[in-house]
Amino acid sequence: MKTLLFIIQILVCICLAPLVSGLMRKIKNSLRMRKGAPVLQPYYNLGKYIKKEEVVSEHSSFILRYAPYVVLASTVTAFLFVPVFHYSCLLSEIGGVVALFFFLSLGRFFLVLAGLDAGSSFGGMGSSREMFIASLAEPVAICAMAVVGLKSGALHLPAALNLVQTPVSVIVAATALLFVVIAETSRIPVDNQETHLELTMIHEAMVLEYSGRSLAILELSAHIKQILLLSVLAGMLWPFPVYVPDSGAYLWSAAFFAGKVACIAVIVSVMEVMVAKMRLFRVVDFLGFGFLLSILALVMAGLGV
Amino acid sequence: MIGLWENISFCFDPLAVFFLLVITVVSIPSLIYSYGYLTGHYSRARIFVITSGTVLFILSMAAVVCSANLLAFLFAWELMSLVSYFLVVFDHENHQSVDAGLIYLIMTHVGTAFLLAAVLIMYHYAGSFDFSVVRNTIPLIPAATRHMLFLFLLIGFGTKAGVVPLHVWLPYAHPQAPSHISSIMSGAMIKVALYGFLRIAIGIIGIPSAWWGIGVLSVAVGTCFVGIMYALLERDIKRLLAYSSVENIGVILLGIGAAMVLMSKQQYVLAEIACAAGLFHILNHAVFKGLLFLGAGSVYKATGTRDLERMGGLIKRMPWTAAFFLVGALAIAGLPPLNGFVSEWLIFQSLFGAASALPGALKIFFVFMMVCLAVTCGLAAACFVRAFGVGFLALPRSSRAEQASEVPLSMKMGMGILTVGIGILAFCATGLWHAMRFVAHGITGGEIVPAGTGELLLSGTILNMPVIAGIFGVILVLGYCMVRLIAGPEKVRRGATWDCGYYGLTSRNEYTATAFSKPFRIAFSFFFLPQRRVEKLRESYYHVSSFKYEVRTIPVFKQYFYAPIVKGFFVVAQRMKIFQMGSVHWYLGYILFMFIGVIIFVLVH
Amino acid sequence: MIYAFLLGMMMFAYSMVITRRVTALIRSFRLQSLFLALVTFAFAYREKSIEVCIVAGLLVVIKVVGIPYYLTRLLKGIKIDEPLGLFMNPLLSLVMAIIFTFVSSLFGAMLLRHQDPLILVSLIAAMTTLFIGFFIMVFRIKAVTQIVGLLTMENGIFLLAAAITDGMPFFVEIAIFFDVFVCVIITGIFLYRINRLFTHIEVNRLTELRG
Repeated sequence: MKTLLFIIQILVCICLAPLVSGLMRKIKNSLRMRKGAPVLQPYYNLGKYIKKEEVVSEHSSFILRYAPYVVLASTVTAFLFVPVFHYSCLLSEIGGVVALFFFLSLGRFFLVLAGLDAGSSFGGMGSSREMFIASLAEPVAICAMAVVGLKSGALHLPAALNLVQTPVSVIVAATALLFVVIAETSRIPVDNQETHLELTMIHEAMVLEYSGRSLAILELSAHIKQILLLSVLAGMLWPFPVYVPDSGAYLWSAAFFAGKVACIAVIVSVMEVMVAKMRLFRVVDFLGFGFLLSILALVMAGLGV
Repeated sequence: MIGLWENISFCFDPLAVFFLLVITVVSIPSLIYSYGYLTGHYSRARIFVITSGTVLFILSMAAVVCSANLLAFLFAWELMSLVSYFLVVFDHENHQSVDAGLIYLIMTHVGTAFLLAAVLIMYHYAGSFDFSVVRNTIPLIPAATRHMLFLFLLIGFGTKAGVVPLHVWLPYAHPQAPSHISSIMSGAMIKVALYGFLRIAIGIIGIPSAWWGIGVLSVAVGTCFVGIMYALLERDIKRLLAYSSVENIGVILLGIGAAMVLMSKQQYVLAEIACAAGLFHILNHAVFKGLLFLGAGSVYKATGTRDLERMGGLIKRMPWTAAFFLVGALAIAGLPPLNGFVSEWLIFQSLFGAASALPGALKIFFVFMMVCLAVTCGLAAACFVRAFGVGFLALPRSSRAEQASEVPLSMKMGMGILTVGIGILAFCATGLWHAMRFVAHGITGGEIVPAGTGELLLSGTILNMPVIAGIFGVILVLGYCMVRLIAGPEKVRRGATWDCGYYGLTSRNEYTATAFSKPFRIAFSFFFLPQRRVEKLRESYYHVSSFKYEVRTIPVFKQYFYAPIVKGFFVVAQRMKIFQMGSVHWYLGYILFMFIGVIIFVLVH
Repeated sequence: MIYAFLLGMMMFAYSMVITRRVTALIRSFRLQSLFLALVTFAFAYREKSIEVCIVAGLLVVIKVVGIPYYLTRLLKGIKIDEPLGLFMNPLLSLVMAIIFTFVSSLFGAMLLRHQDPLILVSLIAAMTTLFIGFFIMVFRIKAVTQIVGLLTMENGIFLLAAAITDGMPFFVEIAIFFDVFVCVIITGIFLYRINRLFTHIEVNRLTELRG
């Protein structure tokens, strides 16, 4: 019964993931005094891509063909480690935070290989930058999650939800994690999702060779990764009180979850509009600042704050 | 009594058996592989010589691991070093091999000298070379001598294991040796050094203070970083793998160092877990590094080059090798659901467990270690994406890569066995974990705690690999089926890669390995100290007829640490040349005068 | 009787020091070895030991007959000239040898206070032979003298061991003899080649090879 509930919760989140992206884009466009595309535009895009024919580069191998499926599977598997509506999740104690980030790493590995596979410079550029940013963002994430783990007793996410009052160190760690979320979801200071200029694209560069249903799968995976990271951050900042499981409580927690994620989405979108995209080597400073914040959180946790 | 035959004794306790397993698991596929690798390149006589050398090497490693006596240990250790030297310089027509062998020989003997000093100190206090007798007399040794003993053992074993700054021989020796020898050296020999460290430094001497563990952890972090950073910049695929071995030794030492700190704080259960995590990574690394070296050897045999910038497009020409190398790269990057992920997860969890259990500043220290491990994992993934992506994917970058063909069956079998090994280690992780804990218990001591309900339970989190891998597989298949269902059968058309309208993509348009690692080179330039030289030949101000671009990084350890030492030696030798007349008569005269002098001395006293 | 043989040995050792010619050196060496063999036979007779007899016989075969024959053949092949090449003239060399005999007698007296005088005299003879062997290695130019000096030293050590202890173990003696024989042959080959290459065997001119 519980398993079924978890599966339904994941499927609902997967279906709502493009909506979050659409919402963020609408907010950005509104702030820029434009009308912008409708909120459901990502769904229309996915529908359009799925119906189209796919053109595959003749220089590429099976990695380009099958990488999207691996990316999708790894992102969804990573989502199973995150508690969404319920205070627990399908793989609650199994694996923990480390497994979460390593599954995201698996998806990234194959996406980067796919970028290199077609033999174009764009793909190589995107792959190189993506691995660079990922290797800088991972330690910040692990440090922040370790701080949460130290405070909550175990290194898996449901334990983090047991913190009744969010300690100061966890708030600082959540701020550090915000930097990671911006980097990993390819948002403005780090990467621009709306560009196709080779000097500015990272994620877009890797998926440049894709078309048709593979592109749809990859876009969906990006949406899922975004909602995953937003819910992790939301869970850290506003942890659940533990509900007695009955259907009324699930609806409340769903609404609460939607509210949390929307809050963070608004914050990220506003940040995107206010800042310009950084040069690649200034991203080092950006993530370095995040790293400093996470070390500060660690020291505060060590002191018991 | 100092005689060799009285001092040979063996013991087959769990630690020795575990390391024998590690040695076997790497050696047997390498030997199978060597059959295909060597035929066609060398004559039958030379193949016989190298194979018997390899077998002697494997047996000497087994002797090191099984010996229960310090003298026999040292004897087997020296034999192992010498035989591996001869195997490294096997290609003696190539002067690079000879140079590499020289560096290796010198470094390994420096390490052995420290080991010998440590053994002699222990013998002085114990009166015997036997392990159990020495262990009982350790409390007699004064504290300062114990610290010195530990330092000597760390330097001695660290030189062989490839700990920074004593790692310089690894990137020279491992590429030059034939590939199956490289895989055995990287997979087994550097682990035998860790066996020595575990057995002697921890098992016999014991850990009186937490500072030893903290020192080992600091050294481990340095090793990780230096190893993976230099691996990221390498063009030669086997040197890349050698530096990656250095990094993995650092990771293993993270686990072992954590165990040492925990042992000194009497947290024996956690220490056992940390030590077992390190041991698991030893086994995993042996398997996937062995596989990667065999893959690199296959590429070398097929294309004749080890340079990543000359490879490419091999996935279509050598599909089996590419598949095996991909599995090895995934495993070493620590990605689920393979075995590298299991051991990295275990080390993360044991570091976190140590952080939770220990007070104050050590908490912060251990989480910092976790952060360093996370950086290392990220950089390792980047490194192997580059190695596989640039080496195997896209278009061939040279005519030799274009003409590559798949390798013979025995080489495929050798690689295949190791790949199957990776799978087995990943899926049977739970059972193996119990075995590792049993082995680690022998080192760390403490009371035996029942291991849990059959799952890996560490600091509140469980790792159940079959479940995770199973779920991943199910989702993968489900995803494919759902997409197929929603969108109908696949409509795929082959076309050219997007070339911005330049009409025709060649291999020159692809991203090179050097370009891939450029962000790292620039971001970490404080460490790499890159230097760039640009040469432009101009026909006029506007027309450049030739453009030469050279970028190099300074090998920090070689230039600032070793080069001064070597230069110092040469300066001293030049000064001593005054005594060297070149005349036989003078030399004999020295001896005669000494002889007479001794007689007169005895007379006078 | 033994004293006579020992004295003869010492005389021929001194004669090795004062010769100026190569063939004379080899002849002195041969006679010295002969007297050493006679001393050994006398010891064997005294102790009624067949092993020492065999050792003495071996001494005769190798050092009295074999090696000098080989050396003379070598020298004929090399065709070197007679003068030995001296760094120190014969008179001074003889004085040095006698001084050393005196020093070794003091040494022996200090060492063997209460022992049989035969052993003391043997010790003195042995140390004298040893020193003279060393001396001609250091202070003579031609390479042949290095070989002869080495062999003389070996004679001295043999006598020393035979006198002070009961002699070395049998197998050790046999092994040493064969070692020496092979050593001489190899050194002879070297000398031949050095002569071929450099057309001389003057060792002090080999300093030009210094690196």
